[in-house]
Amino acid sequence: MSEFSTEPFFEIARRLEIRGETGWVAVLTPATDSSASLDQLQTELQSVLQKPARVIQLETSTFEELREALHQPDGDAVILSGGTGLTLEKWRSLDIMRSALERKGPVILWLSPGDVAHLIEHAPNIRSFIGGSIFLAGPDRGIMTETERQERLKELSQHFGFSGAEAVRKAQARELPHEPEFVEWLVLLGRGDLL
Amino acid sequence: MQAFNPTAPARDALEAGLVFEDLHQSLYRNLAARADLEPGSQQLLVGGVGSGKTTELLLAEQWLRKQGNGLTFFYDISQETDLSSLNSGALLARFGIGLDWIVLNLGSLSRADSQAEKLGEFSREIMEFAFGKRVRRDLTSIDDRPKSIYELARDEVESHFLTENVPGKLNPPLPPLNRDIQEVRAPLEEFLAIARKAHRDVVVVFDGLDRLLDATKFWSVVHQDLRLLREMKVSVLATAPLSVLFGAGVGQSISDHFDRVHHLSVIASDPENASLRSVLDKRRGSELLTMQEADAICHFSGGVLRDLISLARDAAEEAYVSDHDSITAADVEKVVHQLGTGYLRGLGPEATKTLLKLQSSKSFKVDVPANVELLLTRRVLEYSSTDFRVHPALLSVIPRTEQKRV
Repeated sequence: MSEFSTEPFFEIARRLEIRGETGWVAVLTPATDSSASLDQLQTELQSVLQKPARVIQLETSTFEELREALHQPDGDAVILSGGTGLTLEKWRSLDIMRSALERKGPVILWLSPGDVAHLIEHAPNIRSFIGGSIFLAGPDRGIMTETERQERLKELSQHFGFSGAEAVRKAQARELPHEPEFVEWLVLLGRGDLL
Repeated sequence: MQAFNPTAPARDALEAGLVFEDLHQSLYRNLAARADLEPGSQQLLVGGVGSGKTTELLLAEQWLRKQGNGLTFFYDISQETDLSSLNSGALLARFGIGLDWIVLNLGSLSRADSQAEKLGEFSREIMEFAFGKRVRRDLTSIDDRPKSIYELARDEVESHFLTENVPGKLNPPLPPLNRDIQEVRAPLEEFLAIARKAHRDVVVVFDGLDRLLDATKFWSVVHQDLRLLREMKVSVLATAPLSVLFGAGVGQSISDHFDRVHHLSVIASDPENASLRSVLDKRRGSELLTMQEADAICHFSGGVLRDLISLARDAAEEAYVSDHDSITAADVEKVVHQLGTGYLRGLGPEATKTLLKLQSSKSFKVDVPANVELLLTRRVLEYSSTDFRVHPALLSVIPRTEQKRV
């Protein structure tokens, strides 16, 4: 059976960053620890996109509430959570209001596997916006061996032409640009606190 | 990369010069010219999700505005109201609000106090029609509480009469205009008369009606709102769901109600048709893609414009996150697989069989509801009224064993 691409949250956030504004993706919730994973996704989005990320529950939001929540403000990242599952009626209703969901900031649909099938089957207008951007929440590639970590640190140092210590100093002095590679570098150095 | 944003508002893409205008043989010119030349004409634009309907309507709007003398309104009705509870009258309400604003801001018009007062009254009526009103009723003077069937029977016995419905023999071909729809006619006509002193023709574009996958609601606004607009000589361009075009016995009724129905077919990525390449080129796709990869993206998009733009964007993104210097065949293959997997998810065995039969025998019945669903979800694409094909990205991921079995 064909499967969606597995991506860690950091990569999903990075893809949204590359896209700039108005990116739409769907992420399949993992079978276990869904709530903790959602928190993790929210944190990664905030860290990489350098903007607030909110979670909005789809099931309990009416048309008016959802429209208002998405547009006030409309530039931050929004995770639309399907919770344990949405009714077909809710999917159809969301689909016909797709124009009202359009906003400047990125939209991330956080869905159970069953809801992804419903999205494709009953919400063709939203699916059209998502396109092929449906990802399985995967393990964080940050969990690498010490040798891999050292190799990557060396790569980053060679690529940018300065050492890890210098990267930390620049981050402390707020001279380090908010590029995904620098975020990765600081995390690998154990200095995610400087982000 | 920014040029390849499949979710960017069509108006933004148009303003940024990213739209290849001749994609559908300048359909927008035909739409606009007819609306301009035949006041009260009604044209429908039908097409699948992501086929570029909004762009064509915006181009038509732009063309009409350039003509200078007309008054054109553009509404994405799905942004204005919850379509799942769409009421007849909603289109007239939106049009009325726009017209009211234009007329009351026509600085060149000098109005006598009495006329200003009258317009103020009409304006209030339109706002109440759109947003509702609070009505105070004197409960001591009327007895309108709900009555039980026993009370109703007693009333009739006491007053010695019985109320019965006697149906007529001549049934009207269309349902009568609702009373509230008739009531808003006077204020709309008054405002239209004033607007027409400054503008020759009035055209209103209603986008978003294609979201109504259930055609029943669509017909309710056709029978009420669009009928009144036709009587008031307001030209209408509107979108409609594919379901009004396909399905048992619907073809005749749609051509009865509209002067012209334009079907926005999918564009084939045949070697002799370079339209899809032109869409990519307009967005400077040649700077990102080799000719071979661009051709692959055109092919696997199936000609669905939004899929075309998504695939180009996703391939570039894939190359970037994979540290490739340029987009490779593997990047394209990966994003095609992702798109195809999306279409595959949730597909049952019967639907899979239908798709594979279509692929092998080219036969597809559009009057079967399950097949209409395949069209609405874009798993099957319509290139003409007789040419249906499985979406190529989907076809590429249907398991080989299934394909052999058919």
